[in-house]
Amino acid sequence: MNAFWPCSQPKGPKAVALVVIDMQVDFCAPGGWVDQLGEDVGNTRSVIPAVAEALATARETGLVIVHTREGHQRDLSDLPANKQWRTRVHGLGIGDEGVSGRILVRGEPGFEIVPELAPLPGEIVIDKPGKSSFHATDLDARLKAAGVTHLVVIGVTSDCCVQATYRDGFERGYECVVLEDCTAAVETPNHEATMDILKAFGGRWGTVSDLSGLRAAAGELCG
Amino acid sequence: MAERFSIIESDPYSWPFDGRWSADDSALLILGFQIGTIAALHADAELAVAGELADAARSAGLPVIASRRGRDGALSPVASRRALRGDPLFEAGSAEWQIADALGVADGDTPIFDYAGDNAFYSTGLEAWLRTRGIRNLVLAGLPTEGLLHATQRAANDMGFECMAISDACKGTTEARHNGQLRITAFGNGLFGTVARSNQFLAALRAPA
Repeated sequence: MNAFWPCSQPKGPKAVALVVIDMQVDFCAPGGWVDQLGEDVGNTRSVIPAVAEALATARETGLVIVHTREGHQRDLSDLPANKQWRTRVHGLGIGDEGVSGRILVRGEPGFEIVPELAPLPGEIVIDKPGKSSFHATDLDARLKAAGVTHLVVIGVTSDCCVQATYRDGFERGYECVVLEDCTAAVETPNHEATMDILKAFGGRWGTVSDLSGLRAAAGELCG
Repeated sequence: MAERFSIIESDPYSWPFDGRWSADDSALLILGFQIGTIAALHADAELAVAGELADAARSAGLPVIASRRGRDGALSPVASRRALRGDPLFEAGSAEWQIADALGVADGDTPIFDYAGDNAFYSTGLEAWLRTRGIRNLVLAGLPTEGLLHATQRAANDMGFECMAISDACKGTTEARHNGQLRITAFGNGLFGTVARSNQFLAALRAPA
């Protein structure tokens, strides 16, 4: 068995979902929220080509594709007061009007996935109010209905929504893999700490691999 | 109405964010302080601090809640794999599975939530227990920092609870993982809430605002 998967080989391509976390303008593009805060989007942008390659491999192989977007209802009814307060300390908080529309609000330009990684028709798009893609969404139900047992998790940011989704996936019984070269954090030390935590003891919640591992695993699924 | 406590100078901001916390709306969560885990992590010092937090919280009228990780029956494939990597799920009822006596949970007044993963909210009644009592603020201690503590604080944070981890009542599988996880917690003005030392929490509990 390929060491890519934590326990067992998936039954076929449709038993695997590639879950692409929050590759949105607000996190990854000039004019998005992180950029407007004066933070460097270099790290989150840097993985766009690798994520595009992972998507291409997954599409060729016929994996289930899931894209997630973090953001809130237009009336902010699903936005916890402390989450908004914390972001407003930076001067531009969730729900406020920025150059790419209202920050992390559904339907705004900043909420959209960057054009390089746009979802194709038929791919699952999950809009989520929290860090974990399983919190207050129907992701688990949709994966189970589709017969998915294995998750490959990529996107941004590694220290927040990626590890949250990976670990919550494990908790729900999915075999989870994260691709180290397809995920990043705004600050490199936080990315490195997350990778150390996820890799410790050979991966307690799943495995850590990379794009070449995905390609090899995809080849086996097709073979 | 219970009187308010003073705000706590935590990292990265004074907790709670709106300055309001009392015995009516706040609780202490003590996660995974079980005999086998304390031994594996050499966490006797952190246990002593957690015991002090529990005593002080009870004296001040704050609910104290404990969580216990364990299994009752066969392991799932992913849980078996995890056990092979040195993170066993203790059999319910075994000596390793017990919560340490120092936390005073045998008083019968401490709710204990049992589960098999890391996140004390997943498939338990913990959220309902807190919501029905009007609790909005959570102070957390737990083992290990990057395991039960973070998974539970992260889930609570998504639910909108205002969370604060007590750093010296938590221990990681290494110091680097402990520090890294807490740095991520406080990143971006409190991505997952705040982090304080036990003495800051204890001082506030003893000093109404």
